[in-house]
Amino acid sequence: MNTREIIRDFITTEMLHQPLETPLRDDAPLVESGIIDSMGVMTLLSFLENTFSIQVSGEDLMPENFSSIETIATLVERYIR
Amino acid sequence: MDFSFTPEQTAMRKTIVEFARRELNPGLEERYRLGVFPHDLWEKCAQMRLLALPFPEEYGGDGFDFLTTVAVYHALGYACKDSGLVHALTTQIICGIQIWLFGNEAQKATFLPELASGEAIYAQAITEPGSGSDAFAMRTTATHQEGGYVLNGSKTMITNAPVANRVLVFAVTDAAKKSFGGISCFLVQAGSAGFSAGKPMEKMGLRTLANGELFFEACFIPNSGLIGREGQGAMMFSEAMEWERTLIPACLLGELERILEEAVKYARERHAFGQPIGEFQAVSHKIARMKLNAELGALCLYSAAALKNRRKRAALETSVAKLFISESLKQAALDAVQLRGGYGYMTEYEVERELRDSIAATLYSGTSEMQLNILAKLAGL
Repeated sequence: MNTREIIRDFITTEMLHQPLETPLRDDAPLVESGIIDSMGVMTLLSFLENTFSIQVSGEDLMPENFSSIETIATLVERYIR
Repeated sequence: MDFSFTPEQTAMRKTIVEFARRELNPGLEERYRLGVFPHDLWEKCAQMRLLALPFPEEYGGDGFDFLTTVAVYHALGYACKDSGLVHALTTQIICGIQIWLFGNEAQKATFLPELASGEAIYAQAITEPGSGSDAFAMRTTATHQEGGYVLNGSKTMITNAPVANRVLVFAVTDAAKKSFGGISCFLVQAGSAGFSAGKPMEKMGLRTLANGELFFEACFIPNSGLIGREGQGAMMFSEAMEWERTLIPACLLGELERILEEAVKYARERHAFGQPIGEFQAVSHKIARMKLNAELGALCLYSAAALKNRRKRAALETSVAKLFISESLKQAALDAVQLRGGYGYMTEYEVERELRDSIAATLYSGTSEMQLNILAKLAGL
């Protein structure tokens, strides 16, 4: 799985807790739809940091970086590089 | 995992225990009765560098790791019977961690040295009259104005508020974005126009801790007072809670260990029906439960602390530590009263004060019910 697929899989199974008829799109709004909130983002961060061996620092802890699978993947890939 | 203390940590803990017993405990009964914040003891703690421990030396700190800070505050909680003072100190550290993690260079250089030296007292203002556990339902607003923001609203039950020189205030900057992205954090300085603090609120326990209201009426905060970025407040808060729910339980675990130690001593010395009361299972099982919880609490605490020491996320571990240790402390304090019978109810024997203080531990920094909500969510609900 690539970065986006790994993130999509985690959000679908661990945050939505239910299978979707159609997979979450890369640009689906996660914050506006309530899938990710202030508590959920910490769970997601824990997963991202452990899975990709990264440590997201203070200035990147911004809601817009977690607004979609696309923005999350961009953030992760920036740290991986 | 090896949770044993290093020789340096052991030496620091010993020093703090001796310091607390010698300098912080005398006169507590009178201070507690009067309900006054002990400025003189705050200064002594600052001189002992208790407020400087985790911060980098370049910002006036002593550069110890977080694990060492936790180990030292664990010892402080054990030896210092003034739980209000201990809580005031931890609040200062948590404010500093937020500035350290999210502040810009100028803010760190300006504010961390005065925080680490204790010269300025800090508070963190989130709770409002209409929003407690539902913290992000806050109504205090920060509206854009040229060069900064204008704060309007009020906060309540804020630790250190009546004595604070600086306050980290969380306010709504964009109501449309709801809590996640709509809340920001500002540093407000005492004496700012439109900012005022109420008198200390009377409490059933922690009476040397100053809690109170804060009022913001068209209080202008320059852009330089924004901590982190606009909209980062909720994430800052969530991050801060992990550190807070490690440092505070460290102190609570120390209290629990002290209550256990004193209960054992009492159960050995007090005789009834021709034998030490510790020989009766009704007493010994209460003490055994304290011991069990102290041992498990230490595992919870240092498991969380080890993660935070490596800057890892620890929402689960810190909630477990906060919930388990605070509830264990409350139960231990209640049992400590019960096993002393009528003497336990008398103020002279101190355990009734520890019981009153312990109740607060299950309320502040997220009630036990909120910790269970977090755990339920992390369990997959």
